[in-house]
Amino acid sequence: MPQATGTESFILFEIAGTTYAVRSSVVQQVQMIEHVTPVPNAIPVVEGVVHARGRVIPALNLRVRFGFPKVPFDLRSRLVVINSGGRLVGLVVDTAREFVFIPDTSIEVPPDGLSKLSGKYLDGIATIKERLILILNIEQVIDVSGLEDMAAELPS
Amino acid sequence: MKATDPQTTNTNLFAEIELTRNQGVQVGEAAETIARIAQEVAEGSESQTRLLEAAASLSNEMTASMSESTRQLDSIAAFVEEIVSSVNESSASIEEVNGNTATLASDLAEIVTAVEENARSIGSVTATTHGMATSAEEVNGAMTEIAASIKNVSQETSSLTDSVNETAASMEEVVRATESLAGNADDLNVSAEQASSSINEMAASIEEVSVITESLNSNVETVSSSIEEISRSIQSVAQNAENISGAATSAVSAASQMDRSLRSVAGISKRAEDVTKRLTREAEEGGSAAQKSIQSLSRVRTAMELSAGVIREMGKRSDEIGGIVNTINVISERTNMLSLNASIEAARAGDAGRGFAVVAEEIRNLADRAAQATSDIAAIIRSLQEVAREAISASSEGLRVADEGGQIAEEGSRALQRILSGVHETADFMSQVARSTDENLVASQSVVGAIDTVAAQSKQVAYATVEQAKTAQSIVKGAGQMSKTAREVSQAMYEQGTAAREIVKAAQNTTAIATQVRRSSKEQAVAAKQVAQAVESMRRVAINTSRALDEQARASEQVSSESTSLARQIASVSKAMSEQSVSISQVAATTKKMGRLSEQIARGMSEQSRASRDTTTSIDSISKDVRTISRSNREHLDYSGQVLKAITDIRNVTMQNAVNAQSLTSGAQGLTERARSLAELMFSVETVQQSGNQSNGNAIKGSRKRVRKAGNSEEA
Repeated sequence: MPQATGTESFILFEIAGTTYAVRSSVVQQVQMIEHVTPVPNAIPVVEGVVHARGRVIPALNLRVRFGFPKVPFDLRSRLVVINSGGRLVGLVVDTAREFVFIPDTSIEVPPDGLSKLSGKYLDGIATIKERLILILNIEQVIDVSGLEDMAAELPS
Repeated sequence: MKATDPQTTNTNLFAEIELTRNQGVQVGEAAETIARIAQEVAEGSESQTRLLEAAASLSNEMTASMSESTRQLDSIAAFVEEIVSSVNESSASIEEVNGNTATLASDLAEIVTAVEENARSIGSVTATTHGMATSAEEVNGAMTEIAASIKNVSQETSSLTDSVNETAASMEEVVRATESLAGNADDLNVSAEQASSSINEMAASIEEVSVITESLNSNVETVSSSIEEISRSIQSVAQNAENISGAATSAVSAASQMDRSLRSVAGISKRAEDVTKRLTREAEEGGSAAQKSIQSLSRVRTAMELSAGVIREMGKRSDEIGGIVNTINVISERTNMLSLNASIEAARAGDAGRGFAVVAEEIRNLADRAAQATSDIAAIIRSLQEVAREAISASSEGLRVADEGGQIAEEGSRALQRILSGVHETADFMSQVARSTDENLVASQSVVGAIDTVAAQSKQVAYATVEQAKTAQSIVKGAGQMSKTAREVSQAMYEQGTAAREIVKAAQNTTAIATQVRRSSKEQAVAAKQVAQAVESMRRVAINTSRALDEQARASEQVSSESTSLARQIASVSKAMSEQSVSISQVAATTKKMGRLSEQIARGMSEQSRASRDTTTSIDSISKDVRTISRSNREHLDYSGQVLKAITDIRNVTMQNAVNAQSLTSGAQGLTERARSLAELMFSVETVQQSGNQSNGNAIKGSRKRVRKAGNSEEA
């Protein structure tokens, strides 16, 4: 793959049929979800804690995060470990199996019509071979500090 | 003329006695005829109609005429008694004559002695008396006259003697005839008694026959009613026979229809037999097919079981394959993950990791393809497992169905076996039906023939029965006539019995009359013997008289010659003339006495003549009566002839009745026995009558023989 100007590599994953992309530079690794240890009093988005290469990291369920119902894990379920500023967070997705390069030209700004919350999570929307890929703002995604409030705010 | 009367009287007496005898014979013949008539009446007693009534009336008339003849016989007996008294009177007068004649004879002897004395005196006188010549001539003439008168007297006396002889012979004949008549009267009496007893037996048998005829009458009426019933039943039989004929005709058509239907049944049963055979064959084939299908089903079952096992095995294998595919899927997922991590690491390594990134990409592609393949395999295996499960359930269903099919097939097989056995039985039945139908066909053909024959025969039977009915009706008519005839016969038998009783009475009367006749005949015989004795003595007297008269005549001749010589010698007799004169006067006195005697004789003779005339008139009346009797007897004979004719007619009727009875006999055998018993009884009656007739005939023959013997002895 030629290293063209303005071309970044992305990891694609899927939640509820929608393909999301996250920059591979923030992805530590992708691993199979073998066992998630539940954490007491955790907010619903937090699935629990898992082992990731010798470290215990939290695992966030993006389905819960994006307002979709939870589904049981299977062989395709993946834990995408994000390294954000030295902080490792695991994201439980339906599956994650692609590594793609998306040129900047293919990325568009999310339209104004989207809600402020959804817009906050999206960096842009890319279309590759008529596939619509939502590029996530991973910091916003993994930022769960206001989630207690949010949780308090949001109906469970 | 005075001497002629007794001869005629005797002849008439003889004729009367002969006539009486003939009459007795005629009476016997009439009795014989009566016996024959009775026999014929008895013979004709089988069946007599109104002709027997005519015969009965004729018999009554005959009985009346017989009673008339009986009365006449009574009068004959009275006349015979008169004759007897007349004969007695005549006998007395004849005895008187006889005595007078004896006196005459002694006087004549005195005359002779006086004449001798006269002659002697004449001899002594002859020479002396010439003057007496004239007186002598006168005497001679007187003597000649005396001689002539003596000759006349002698002739008359000789003729009287002859007559007396004839009378004596006739009297002897009369005596013999009277004796034989007495004997005949005895025989007649015996025969009359025998006839009476025979007639009694006949009457008894006639009454017996009458009783039997009455029973026959009742039997004939019973038979008549039975024959009428038979006739009615024959008529109903005739109707039934006609019905049978109609039924037989319809039976013929029905039988021909039956024959046709039997033929069609035979054809149908043949076809049914063929169909049954085919059905049997097909059923056997079906049975073998069912057996084969059962076998196939069991094989199918086995195969199904095998395939189910295989499919289960295959499912197990596919499970294993699923596990393997899962493993491969896990491996490919992990490989994908690893290659993704490798790509991340290579990106992180920058340019140095570019090749590695390519490799990782390649590996990830391979892993994706492997995952794709494994997901394909998994889908295939899932569908395979689904198919296997379906196959297992299908095969178990198939097994169950195969089991059910097997059971059904076995049931079908069993049903087929049953059907087969049923079909076999049906085939047997059908062949039996076919055989039976064939036999039925033959039988029905023979039945058709038989029914045809039956129809023909029933027609013949109907025809014959109609004829029979006609015959039965004529038999009924004949039986009615026979019944009527039998009743008439019964009536006739009753009348015959009455007539027979009357005949018995008449025969008893005849017997009484015969007894009277016998008694009269005996008396007559005694009287005749007395007459004969009287006549004999008269004859002897007459012979003596004759002899004396002969001698007298000779003496007269001698006297005449001697008076001639006296006349010649008268001159010489003159001396004795006085004595002669005395003698002559004595002679004259004697002659006067003789004349007185002759007058007495003449008187007696006239008395005799009167008695004879009385006798003659009596006998004339007797002859008249006897003529009446003979006329009556002729009438008897005519009546007997009419009776015979009537009885012949009756016999013809009887023969016709016998023919009727024979024709009836063929119809009614019961009548035959009655007729046989009647015939036996009639035979016995005939035997009785024949025995009566034989005894009568024998008696008559005997009497005839005795008459002939009497005649022969007379001739001898």
